[in-house]
Amino acid sequence: MKTNGFFKQAVIIGSIAWMALFAFIPNILVGLASFCSTSAQNFIEPVWGFHNYGQLMDQAHLDILLSSLRLSGLVTLICLVVAYPFAAILARTRKDKRNTLLLLVIIPFWTNSLVRTYAMTAMLNSSGIVNNLLIFLGIISEPLAMMYTPGAVVLGLVYTLLPFMILPLYAALERLDRRYLEAARDLGASPWKAFWRVVVPLTMPGIVSGCMLVFLPGIGMFYVSDVLGGARAMLLGNFIRDQFLSTRNWPLGAAASVTLTALMGIMLLLYWHSTRRLGQDSAL
Amino acid sequence: MMHRFVLAVLVVGLSILPCVQAHAADKELFVYNWSEYMPDSVLEDFEAETGIKVIMSTYDSNEALYAKIKMVDGAGYDLIVPSTDFVSKMSKDGLLQPLDKSKLSNFSQLDPHILNQAFDPDNTYSVPYMWGSTGIAVNTANPAAATVTSFEDLWKPEFKGKLLLPNDMRGVLAIGLKRLGYSLNETDPAKVREACALLQELVPSVRVFDSDSPKQALLNNEVVAAVLWNGEAYIASTENEAIRYIYPREGFSLWVDNLCIPKNALNVDNAHQFINYLLRPDVAAFICQGMGYSSPNDGAQAVLPEEVRSNPIVYPTDADIERGEFETDLGPAIKTYEECWMRLKTGQ
Repeated sequence: MKTNGFFKQAVIIGSIAWMALFAFIPNILVGLASFCSTSAQNFIEPVWGFHNYGQLMDQAHLDILLSSLRLSGLVTLICLVVAYPFAAILARTRKDKRNTLLLLVIIPFWTNSLVRTYAMTAMLNSSGIVNNLLIFLGIISEPLAMMYTPGAVVLGLVYTLLPFMILPLYAALERLDRRYLEAARDLGASPWKAFWRVVVPLTMPGIVSGCMLVFLPGIGMFYVSDVLGGARAMLLGNFIRDQFLSTRNWPLGAAASVTLTALMGIMLLLYWHSTRRLGQDSAL
Repeated sequence: MMHRFVLAVLVVGLSILPCVQAHAADKELFVYNWSEYMPDSVLEDFEAETGIKVIMSTYDSNEALYAKIKMVDGAGYDLIVPSTDFVSKMSKDGLLQPLDKSKLSNFSQLDPHILNQAFDPDNTYSVPYMWGSTGIAVNTANPAAATVTSFEDLWKPEFKGKLLLPNDMRGVLAIGLKRLGYSLNETDPAKVREACALLQELVPSVRVFDSDSPKQALLNNEVVAAVLWNGEAYIASTENEAIRYIYPREGFSLWVDNLCIPKNALNVDNAHQFINYLLRPDVAAFICQGMGYSSPNDGAQAVLPEEVRSNPIVYPTDADIERGEFETDLGPAIKTYEECWMRLKTGQ
């Protein structure tokens, strides 16, 4: 019993130390760097101020932020529309089949997402699988330009992030008590009305967490836009990487990451707030 | 409580220890090189011959290399391959160590023309590995592409959506500056802005920005003209005969990549041994043939097959080389370049 307690303590201290060393301290350093200045000799100079945040407020930087948010928002919406019926069907299938289907959703995670993104170029390029198939079937005569388009970027992001939407939706839909639906129908609601007024509100925690899980990584996954979009758009992720690796403006890059972190923090806060409210609603 | 704390420290300490120990073994060599710049078999042959295991990581820009080496203060890697101006920048910063020429018996194989340059007088810190150019590759199956002779031609409406440019600030700005007849190291902000305005007209034609493997988009018929390194064009031309490489009329960027040992490298002897191996004529010739860049090694040129030695993609004529220019450090002028790059990428 004593060794058991000792083990527990060691694991807890170990993971706290791990988080402190590799998550908390680096984040504090990034936060500090964002208030420093650049120097030619070193990467940062302790001349403090808010100038990096001021620099972020100009039009070009705001455009980068807006286009990243817009792209990620669109991807989230598509994922939601595609994943909701999928999760609903998944929740209705027989249990033995359901586990197989769930496994199929998860299997792509076993391959690195960068590798999967490169694999998509083999599907989409002018002499790729999709074009060759369509030409072979006689549907088109000239290859379609699918690679290096905004559509390819959206497709790549949806493909990569879809499971993050399916799983929470599935969890919410599976828990849904079908008797509520029957009651709604008995009380005269049309199927559409029952869906909007009963199913959607009851699965709202799943919808919100699915959206968070897609939207937040979607802002940062710049390599999808680089590989499938031809690197024509500068997204927030590219911008931060360039500040650190190409232009050596660490303080500005740090300020941009802090802003991104703060943005995500605010959204998580809103989420937490909304689930609490939703929790109260369903208790009523 | 105390012994728990000790345990926690041990747990954390043990997890870091293997990383530290990995560097202490003496039959290893950590190389940090450009991606697709050295055939894997060269590393295997070197290990078979000397028993030294080469661990190679790669980068895709001098800026990335510099940032990393500076961050770790020249430790962690035993051999790096910076280009011209970055050799002088890193040696000024004290990030490189002088090479011991007595351990480099094959140094005499190098072409004296390419030695003792301004970026490293007497080759104190560096030995040239390969050199090359950034020009235009075209797919001559496309009628418009077949007539390209200059950067200016890329502005033609026929190339709309069929153009590839490097995903690299200096590489793209050089196109605009050269078209205007300026140096690609121009520091006058007005001239850089002028080039930028021209490039803004070119950007809508660009299908892809890529510096990792630009030959792919060309071979997949996604683009018909691409600004890229000659080695990429050479490999593409061996896979598709319609692909030609052009040294633009207005001038272009030339570069030499150099083998250097960082200040705090651990396996200095192994690094010298590997440099000497790379300077051996048969090895240098093999790398040159595989990668399509020019070898500065006289001995290698003698054993190269005729079709590689006389291939203008690998070895440009003297008349073409005349128009080439080396990149140098821009100093504070780089700010104007960055502003332009940002504008090009955000479409403002």
